[in-house]
Amino acid sequence: MTTTVTIHIDGVPYAVPDGMNLVDAARIYAGVEIPIFCYHPKMKPVGMCRMCLVDLGFEVRDRATGELALNPDGTPQVRWGRKLETGCTTTVRAGMYVRTRTEQVQEARRDVLEFLLSSHPLDCPVCDKGGECPLQNLTMRHGPGTSRMAYDDKLHLDKHVPLGDLIYLDRERCIQCARCVRFQDEVVGDDVLAFHERGRRLQIITTSTPGFDTYFSGNTTDICPVGALTTADFRFGARPWELTNVPSISPHGPVGENIALSMRLDRDSGGVQVIKRVIPRQNEDVNEIWISDKTRFGHHFTLSPDRLREALARKRGELTPVALDDALKAAAKALKEAGNSVGFIGGPMTSNEDFFALRELAAHVGSRKLGLWPATLGDAAPAAEVGIASGSRLTELGKGDAVLVVASDLEEEAPIWFLQAKQAADRGAALIVANLRETKLDRYASRTVRYGLGGAVGFLDGAASDETLAQAANLVVFVGNEGLGADEHGVLLRAAANLLITTGHAGRRNNGLIPVWPGANTQGGFDLGFESAATRAMLQSAPDVLIVVGADVAETPAGAAALDAAKFVIALSLFPDATTAKADVVLPIQSFAERDGTFTNAMRRVQRFYTAQGPVGESLPAWQVIGLLGQRLGMDRPRRSAALVMKALAESVKLYAGMSYPALAEAAVQTPPIGISPGFYGGTAAAPTGGTGLQWPSKAESRAKLSVTPVEAPQAVHAGAGELVIVPLRRLYDRAPEFFASAVMHGRIPQPFVALHPSDAARLGAVDGGRVKLSAGGASLDVTAVVDATAPEGLALLPQRLAPGAFPQEPVAGRVEPVAEAVAAD
Amino acid sequence: MLKDKYADRIEKIFAKYADKRSAVMSLLYLAQEEYGYVTEDACAEIAALIGTDPTQVRSIAGFYTMFREEPKGRYWLQVCTDLPCALRGADKFYEELLQELGIEDGGTTPDGMFTVEHVMCLAACDRAPMLQCNFHYHEHLDMDTMRALIAQWRAEAGVLAEAAAVGDAPAE
Repeated sequence: MTTTVTIHIDGVPYAVPDGMNLVDAARIYAGVEIPIFCYHPKMKPVGMCRMCLVDLGFEVRDRATGELALNPDGTPQVRWGRKLETGCTTTVRAGMYVRTRTEQVQEARRDVLEFLLSSHPLDCPVCDKGGECPLQNLTMRHGPGTSRMAYDDKLHLDKHVPLGDLIYLDRERCIQCARCVRFQDEVVGDDVLAFHERGRRLQIITTSTPGFDTYFSGNTTDICPVGALTTADFRFGARPWELTNVPSISPHGPVGENIALSMRLDRDSGGVQVIKRVIPRQNEDVNEIWISDKTRFGHHFTLSPDRLREALARKRGELTPVALDDALKAAAKALKEAGNSVGFIGGPMTSNEDFFALRELAAHVGSRKLGLWPATLGDAAPAAEVGIASGSRLTELGKGDAVLVVASDLEEEAPIWFLQAKQAADRGAALIVANLRETKLDRYASRTVRYGLGGAVGFLDGAASDETLAQAANLVVFVGNEGLGADEHGVLLRAAANLLITTGHAGRRNNGLIPVWPGANTQGGFDLGFESAATRAMLQSAPDVLIVVGADVAETPAGAAALDAAKFVIALSLFPDATTAKADVVLPIQSFAERDGTFTNAMRRVQRFYTAQGPVGESLPAWQVIGLLGQRLGMDRPRRSAALVMKALAESVKLYAGMSYPALAEAAVQTPPIGISPGFYGGTAAAPTGGTGLQWPSKAESRAKLSVTPVEAPQAVHAGAGELVIVPLRRLYDRAPEFFASAVMHGRIPQPFVALHPSDAARLGAVDGGRVKLSAGGASLDVTAVVDATAPEGLALLPQRLAPGAFPQEPVAGRVEPVAEAVAAD
Repeated sequence: MLKDKYADRIEKIFAKYADKRSAVMSLLYLAQEEYGYVTEDACAEIAALIGTDPTQVRSIAGFYTMFREEPKGRYWLQVCTDLPCALRGADKFYEELLQELGIEDGGTTPDGMFTVEHVMCLAACDRAPMLQCNFHYHEHLDMDTMRALIAQWRAEAGVLAEAAAVGDAPAE
């Protein structure tokens, strides 16, 4: 526990936590804004910009007696420093006196600004930052009205320096605060940015290969206090005052990054509301103020010309555009004929409201076939029991704590958790990374564990005797499903639960299991009774009618076969894909940006997203489409709003009791408040307006009796003679239409490839960069071979959703054969 | 590659520091000696040797003026023209030197022999006009002594060139 001390700021006493940063303490406890440029609460203070100069003094005590020395008028004597000191590098302690408004301090601020502006270009009218620029704001507040600098003496520097594919640097605008350099170094751990030269010629450079291309690069444009760093996507896209920030949740991945969609009525897009940019929205429980580049740049799918705009129905074997009513009629007819032989499969972006509507429809027709896509997941029961306790913060993990990551490449699957795990390790937490191959998180691990195919369960089962884990004050376990079959994934989650229970790390804050699910709302699907196992059963024996919502079931051979086997397939989808091509009725649905809804992240936090743009074509929210379908089957007419669906959901699903839209819209206080509306720390992260969500408590928190269920690893996939085990990997950047629609990212999405160990490659005759054919389970893919010494021997690592064509999503024995390059004939 | 050619020297350099990264300056000097200036490849080599990113090595080379980042003449003449030196005629001396060599401030002679630039204090004000040539001081200069030095350097370089041609370069 930190103790509280009394300090005086501008003559007024305040009680503040001992050792707190002075700038933060003044801002939070006294409401006094000490202006800053380089200081950022998420990074170590450096005192570079000198903007936070304050007058610092201490009360005087008699050396002999320790008594306070008093002035004749009875007030304590204060010994002021001879010079001003930087507030950001000062921590508060008892007896400290601070003056922030003296003539000397004001003069210092004026002078610092005059220097900063001595070579700053006057292009605010065309600068992306203009209007939300800390340099503009602080100049207005503290700066000189005019400059004594001769205009001709300004340095003119490059204004369009690409630091990578996505970020541009304007050297003239840079004020050398090093926020971007420190972000790359301290937060991301990839120091590809640095200063070059010095004095007036100091510049940001990168000479690394590859350059500035982390999955987090966009965050530097948020924290840049001027318009020096801009994204290739938003550059010259809009003026900040034209933008309306609509709170939302990232539809990509299990973290549930809180974001705001900056909307504008856009002439070039036909006068409709469009997302001009995506910025983080502060939520210290989830993503702090960081978002991945996938979330930032992967929004273009919402207005993609490829979106489904109208309903389709099969006429004489061909999918033909039809009126929505006719499509619903055809679908309802098939459903009536099917009785209860109806199956439901929800995909990764399906919201809780949609899942609930599906569940109601299923109950109405008497079906219990509630499936979740992908079909490769274990069950969520272990996470419901010992999932990370509510109110936990990964940012609080540090010395004495442990973080265990098993079977997951966090950087690719959940970039924000990669940052948080890495930073926990930086703060002294033991980070143990166990996987069948090397991943980037290994760099920061205190220990790495390499197991063979099928060895994950054995490792985790034995981990309870590991002293680091057993003795850790707090323990967080991330469990993914890389290299695991669905059964093995289920067993591994159970083994993680066992570990947490036996080592006494269940049900306590900052402890528990985090399943690294593939989708933004996979957890919500589980919560509403949808199971990956149910999908597997449907793939085994298809029901008469399959209703598929936002899931490309045909991306696996088994899924494609089930769609063929079902008599009638109803697909609700954003995009035409292999699944809609096999459907009998296709109904267009709305993306997360067009509608209200909620996603539940993998830490069980239910979070709201809001309507930001108009609907595309005739699309409706999936819950409404499902409701209309139900109405034709004799159910009540669909509810009038997502809020009412959520109300009904909260009444019928115990875990979600009390989670009404108004409750979810409440924003927890963020400390320190970095979002735009307080505006103090500068940068373009939004305030938590719109709500920070609610977490449902795991069973362990209610002091339920927890028991260990012994686990046994299922038989691992075995490769026959001449075969390799083809292991699918999840990569952040893939060719799924929800991401590939962002043309700005195309340069960053790899060509379809498979990674092979050099000895396997040599044995198979595959060369680095040559084409190979993968075949397994009746499917085949044509990809480029990448010979990679970090790939385990005997495995072929295949990133998913890069190559077109169906392929199994679980490890599978298969053949890898070089394809003879066709010789161009003259 | 520095690693192969100077394995012994690199080992000795590393022996001096507890942390490999601390050796970056010594390795930059080595690279400069080998290539004449700090090349892009040299930064990558050094980064690999000390386990950091090439950008960080480039940043250090950029911060210190004694590292050259572009090809320069064989003799790198840095003349101090700060106020105390200027009072002793250093600025006039500098102008005359540029005229003598027929180049601009910061320029290099066409034969690649000399690069001349003016610098801030070299801490030898009392012996001005003075200059630093490849990190060696030459003091109490006037144009006569300077001409003699230039002739001497040209001769030296000629000897070096000839020696290099027959494959028998004298050790520096």
